[in-house]
Amino acid sequence: MREIVESALLAAKRAGASYADVRIVQREEESISTKNGAADAIRHSESKGFGVRVIANGGWGFSSSFITTPEEAEKVANEAVQIALASSKTKIADAKIAKVEIYQDKVPQPVKINPFDVPLSKKIAILLEADKIMNIQGIIVRKGSMNFSKEWKTFASSEGAYIEQERIVSGAGISAVATDGKEIQVRSYPTSFGGDFQRKGFELIEEMDLVSHAEETAKQAVALLSAKQCPSGKMDIILKGPQLALQVHESMGHPAELDRVLGEEASFAGTSFLTPEKLGTFRYGSDIVNITADATIPEALGGFAYDDEGVKAKRIYLVKNGIFVGYLNSRETSAKLNLEPMGAMRAENWNRMPIIRMTSINLEPGDKTLDELIEGVDYGILMDINKSWSIDQNRLNFQFGAEMGWEIKNGKIQGIVKNPSYTGITYEFWRSCDGIANKDFWHVWGVPNCGKGEPEQVMQVSHGVAPARFRNVQVGVLK
Amino acid sequence: MIGREKSIEIVKKVLSMSGADQTEALLMGGESYLTGFANNYIHRNVGEKNYTLSVRVVMGKRIGSSSVDDFSDEAIKKVIQDAMLIAENQQENPDFVSLAKPEKAEDKEFFIKDTAECSPDFRAEYVNKILKATKAKGLTGSGKFETNAMEIAIANSLGVERYTKLTTSTLKSVVLSDTSSGYSMSSSIDVNKIPVDDILKESIEIAEMGKNPTSIEPGKYEVILTPYALAELISHLNYLALNARAMKEGTSFLIGQIGKKVVGENVTMYDDGLSSETIPLPFDFEGVSKRKVVFFEKGIAKNVVYDTLTAYKEGKESTGHSLPQPNPYSPYPMNVIMEGGKSSKEEMISNVKRGLYVQRFWYTNPMDPRRAIITGMTRDGLFLIENGKITRPVKNMRFTESVINVLNNIIELSKDKKIVYDMSSITVPYARIKEFTFTSKTEF
Repeated sequence: MREIVESALLAAKRAGASYADVRIVQREEESISTKNGAADAIRHSESKGFGVRVIANGGWGFSSSFITTPEEAEKVANEAVQIALASSKTKIADAKIAKVEIYQDKVPQPVKINPFDVPLSKKIAILLEADKIMNIQGIIVRKGSMNFSKEWKTFASSEGAYIEQERIVSGAGISAVATDGKEIQVRSYPTSFGGDFQRKGFELIEEMDLVSHAEETAKQAVALLSAKQCPSGKMDIILKGPQLALQVHESMGHPAELDRVLGEEASFAGTSFLTPEKLGTFRYGSDIVNITADATIPEALGGFAYDDEGVKAKRIYLVKNGIFVGYLNSRETSAKLNLEPMGAMRAENWNRMPIIRMTSINLEPGDKTLDELIEGVDYGILMDINKSWSIDQNRLNFQFGAEMGWEIKNGKIQGIVKNPSYTGITYEFWRSCDGIANKDFWHVWGVPNCGKGEPEQVMQVSHGVAPARFRNVQVGVLK
Repeated sequence: MIGREKSIEIVKKVLSMSGADQTEALLMGGESYLTGFANNYIHRNVGEKNYTLSVRVVMGKRIGSSSVDDFSDEAIKKVIQDAMLIAENQQENPDFVSLAKPEKAEDKEFFIKDTAECSPDFRAEYVNKILKATKAKGLTGSGKFETNAMEIAIANSLGVERYTKLTTSTLKSVVLSDTSSGYSMSSSIDVNKIPVDDILKESIEIAEMGKNPTSIEPGKYEVILTPYALAELISHLNYLALNARAMKEGTSFLIGQIGKKVVGENVTMYDDGLSSETIPLPFDFEGVSKRKVVFFEKGIAKNVVYDTLTAYKEGKESTGHSLPQPNPYSPYPMNVIMEGGKSSKEEMISNVKRGLYVQRFWYTNPMDPRRAIITGMTRDGLFLIENGKITRPVKNMRFTESVINVLNNIIELSKDKKIVYDMSSITVPYARIKEFTFTSKTEF
C-alpha cells in the first residue's frame, strides 16, 4: 500500500498538484437472497482499487483504477492532474480547503462474530426457515436477504495524513407479499428494502431473530388485504421507527448537506431550502425537536473513525430546540462559509470522489412512552415501515407511504388500515411535532441505499429515532 | 480497453478451469469519465478504469456466483472456488433449467473511437460553451458531460461466446435563475452527435420562461408531457409490469390481460436493442441476442421480456433481457421505444384550451404497484397553457397518478421523439394527456 500511496502523491506533486490525496479500498462482500422457498441469488465479490484526488491550478481532478501497482498509481495521478487542469479552464476562484488536524492512525473494527467465518449453509438455513413460516394462504412472494461486507481502507494526503480503517457491516430482513388477485400488500421485518444494517458482525443477525418474526410478518400482509382503506383528511399521526427514520433522512438529512445548499448538486439531486441566511435563526421544528449528525455512535451504519478527507468523526447539532443550527459539510464547503469541518465526506468506493453524505442523522429522544403518545390522540393514525417516498428537489413538499397503519380513537389503538400515506411541507410538519418517545424506544436504523451525486454513489447512513407524534397532518391521497 | 482477443481469452480460461456442470463467465468494464459543473464552473471532474470478472457455476440445480477484478490464474482459480462453495451450500433452484444455449449470431459493436478517446479538454470546451451562454444571460449553469467506453465478453460451457464494445455520451444542462430552472439532455453513442447548441437553447429558454412562477391549485389538468416527463413515468413499468418476473410476483397489471386491450389504441410500445432509435445493446448479460418484444400494439397487451431463468421454465426462449446474474431485477427492458404520432409539439400546445406543460418529473415512486400509481414532483419547468398558448410559469406541484390511466388518456403524440438514457434507454414522443391528477403544491 505504501508504494502505491508514495507513487501517486509524488506523481501528483510533480505534475503540478497543490494538494493530493489517495484512497485505496479493498472490499469483500457476500449477499444472499431467498425467494419462495429457494435460495434466489447468492453472490460473493472481492474488489480493490484506488482513487487519486487533486487540486491543480485551482481546479479539482479525480481519477481511479482497479490495477493496484505503483506504475498505475503514477499514471492515474498524472491523469487526475490533467483532468484538474481542464477543470481550471472554467474556474471562477481557486478551489480552497479548510485547514484540519492531520492524523496518522490505524482503526480496526472488532466484531463478536466475523460474518465471513459463519458457514453459508447456516445463513441460508435461517432465511429458508423464516421463508417456510411465511408460506401461508394468501402470500404470493416470500423474500429474505442477508448482506455482509468487510472493507480495509487506506487514506493518505500530501498534507501527511495516513489513516487505515476497517469496516465490517451486516444486515438482513424478510418480507411477505400478499395478494387477492386484485391488489398486493407487503409487510417487512425489521424494516423494508433489505432490513436493518449495522457495523456489527453476525451477532446482529442473531439479535434480529428473523425466524421468530416471520409468522406475524406474513399474517399482517394477508390481513392488510381485507383491512379498511386508510382515511383521508387532516389528523394526528404517530410515526414508528423505520418510517420516522425515512422522514428524518429525506426532510432533515438531505437538506442539511452543504453541497446541495450551495448549488453543487443542482443538476441531479437538487438544492435545499435550508439556505445559509437561515443558519442559527430558522425555526425548523417545534422546541422539542433536536437533530444531531453523529458519526461517533458505536456500531451505527453512518459512523466511522475518519471521513474520506481524513477529518475525525464528530457529533454536531443540525437542529437544536427546534432551530436550524448546523450543516453537513466538507473541507471545501466549510471554507466557503467559514464553518468548522465536521467530517461528512465519503465515497462509495475507490472509484468515486468523496461528496458530502449523511453520517448518523438522529432525532434525539424525548420524554414520552409510546402509550403516552397514543393516549394523546383523539383521532389519528399510527404508521410503521416505509413503502413509498417522494420529496421535491428543495426538500419541502414530501409524500410518504407506509406498509401498515393503525387507527387511533380516543387515545386507543383500533383496527389496522391499509395504504396509509401522508403529505406535507417539511418545516410545517416538524413544527407540528409535540411528542417524542424516550431513549428506551430509541433505535439507530441503518439505511444502506442512500443515492446521490453524479456519477451516482450509494452510501450507508443511519438514523436514530424513537416514535414521534405530529398534529394535524394531511393523511391520504389515494382515491 | 482490453480488446476482443484478450477478453475472450480471459472468459474461456474460466471455463477451462471450472469443474462445474455448467459455467458462465462475464467480463465487463471499461473507462468512464464525467465532467460535472455547477455555479458556472467545473466542480467535479472524474475518471475511472474498472473491470469485473463474474463467474456463475451450476451443479445440478444449485447455482453459485462470485466476482473479482483480478484476472491472474490464482484469482480465477479462487473466484471459481468461491462460486463452487456457494453452489455446494446452496439449495436447489426448482425454476432453473439451464444457462443460455448458443445461437448463431453476429457480434455487433456500437463503438465510436472519438467517444472512447474524448479528452478532459474536449469535455471542458463543450461545458464552457454552455457556461458562457448561461453567464451571458445572468443565469447559473449546472449539469454533466459524460463519456463512457465499455466492453462485454461472455462465454459459457454450452458454447455461448460473445463480445461487444460500446460507447455512450450524455450531455445534461440544468440552468437556474433565482426563481426558476430549465432542463435539457441528450445521449448518443457518438460524442460528435451531441447537439450542444440545442441543449443550451432548450435549458436556457425554459429557465427564462419559468422566472417568477405563481401558484395554481392542484387538481385534474390536461397536460403535455415532454419525452423527459413521459419516460420517467414509463420507467416504472419496466420493473413493475413489462417483465416475466413481475408477471410471476404479482406486481404487473398485465397478469391475465395478454391479448386484451389495456391501454389506448394510439399506444404501440416495444423493446428493441438494435433499433437506431435507442442506445443499442446487441445481446444481454447472458449472451442472448436482443429480440424485439412488443408490449402494446395499438393498445393490446402482447408480451413481456424474459431472461433464461424465466423463459426456460415456461418452455420459451429468452428474449435477451437478462441483467448481470444473479439479479433480483432481471429480466429488464433496456431499450423501450414508443411509436410517435403525427403532431408537432407546437400543434399539441395549440390544441390545449387549459392545461399544463410539464418539462420534467422528479423523485417518482410507486404508491400502488399493481395499479402502477406513481407519485412525484414536477421540476425544471411547469407552465400554464391557456387557449392554445403557454401563458405563464407556475410553481411546482406533486402528482399522484396511474401510468395505466396516462396510457389510456393520450389524445395526441408528437412525431418527434427523444432518447432518454440513464443506464437504459426510453425513447418516447411528446404526449398530450386528457386528464392528469396533481395532488399538492410546493413553494417554488
